[in-house]
Amino acid sequence: MARVDYKDMIKFTEEAIVKSKLLEGLDLVPLETYDGMDTRSAWEFKTPMASGFYKPYTLKGSTKIEKITYGELHYMRRAIYSTINFTASDDYDLPVFSVEFDESATRIGATVDFMPLVDLSLHPEYQEKYLSPLADLWRKYRTIPGLTKEGRCLVQRRYGPWAWARETMSPFSLDGRIEEPEDRIKIIDAIIGYARVWLDLLKKAEPVKDPVYKQEMLNRKKVMQKVYRDRDPGGEVIKKIFGDEKHHLFVSIIF
Amino acid sequence: MADSSRWAPYREKMQEQLSQIQLREIHQELTAGKNLKAYTADKIAKIAIGECCIGDSRHIGVCTVFPLETYWLPLYVSLWDEQEKEITLLVDVAPTVDSLIDEPFRIKYLESIQPLWEKFASLPGIVPFEDDGVRRVCSIIYTAAVVPIEREGMRLAALAPHTEYLNSYIEFVKDAPAADGEAKVKEIRRKIAAVKSEYRSYLQRAYGGGFHEDMINVLF
Repeated sequence: MARVDYKDMIKFTEEAIVKSKLLEGLDLVPLETYDGMDTRSAWEFKTPMASGFYKPYTLKGSTKIEKITYGELHYMRRAIYSTINFTASDDYDLPVFSVEFDESATRIGATVDFMPLVDLSLHPEYQEKYLSPLADLWRKYRTIPGLTKEGRCLVQRRYGPWAWARETMSPFSLDGRIEEPEDRIKIIDAIIGYARVWLDLLKKAEPVKDPVYKQEMLNRKKVMQKVYRDRDPGGEVIKKIFGDEKHHLFVSIIF
Repeated sequence: MADSSRWAPYREKMQEQLSQIQLREIHQELTAGKNLKAYTADKIAKIAIGECCIGDSRHIGVCTVFPLETYWLPLYVSLWDEQEKEITLLVDVAPTVDSLIDEPFRIKYLESIQPLWEKFASLPGIVPFEDDGVRRVCSIIYTAAVVPIEREGMRLAALAPHTEYLNSYIEFVKDAPAADGEAKVKEIRRKIAAVKSEYRSYLQRAYGGGFHEDMINVLF
């Protein structure tokens, strides 16, 4: 297994957002306040142990978006923890587009998913509308070496120790560990592909009208956000470096 | 594989596990003359086990356990599709509630199966179940694989997840509590109906006329 130096690690935002022109054409406005918190201290940060940014945005003139966040946390020039989160506003039932991309010398741990806001077994129409467009991408990218290994496809197992996190995942999540340097960049294509599907769904999204369904959807969304903000193991690192208050801000705009 | 004695003893091994429970046979009018049995039991609405062969080349087995909706219990599904060179399998202990929201349910029933889920991750051919609709109703601890049969011992190895999940399920039944209130019963009823509907649809999609409709209705 080859090791990758910090200086050679993937520039996540550059690759996934900038070069791909992923957010081109969207009228992004910095989201200065989120859940009553001033977000500006997250836009750029630097401590002796970590530096980076989490940039949350909304869409100018649109009520569809709760947040569009991307960011990177560089830890002691040893690892880079990168993220993307697209969350629609409470009037919409779009799944949460969520990316974790954690690179260290030995490997990338990545998760890419559309996290459903309803119990899919009760709402097959939700899968048809929002998740089925991922089917071809899922089948293509789950074969990336590392996600598939020695004839065994290991996607949907990265969160092995965290059952609560697996509960939030869709049947089309891509996740796993990629070791070889030449394979690492391949997951970026999957991230861009998934993101483009989400942005296309956003264009067509209509507000939820059924109040019973909406309540059910919001209940699940709030539980999902709470469990990630309270329990994500990456959050513990953030807490140690930045303290409780910034931890709460950072995890809130990431999840 | 014309010599059917070489098929894995799916039904026998599953029936061995089921013999731990006091079974009462039901639906005899539908199961007569078929390799199919259905039972009821304490806290259980229906246990069904069936198998069939499609020509000489394919041996299919299905086993299901659906709890009474008045009990706070998961359900059990086992699908077995055996061919000469590979076995496609799915086994699950699936929630009858939203197991993101109902955390006690997840901890009691799904997280306690997690050691089996981790153990069988090393099974050759482990893979997410291919059918998108079925994956939607699977739990976080389902095991699925397309196991290559490189030696005959692999057939029994592929059976192990089915019998071990079923054995765990049977343990759950013994001390299962009643569902807490009418809202929970309603939730369980809705979820079981949705899961049954998806699997019925899957068997039709996957096997067409290979499964008689009566057989599908007994199994799910």
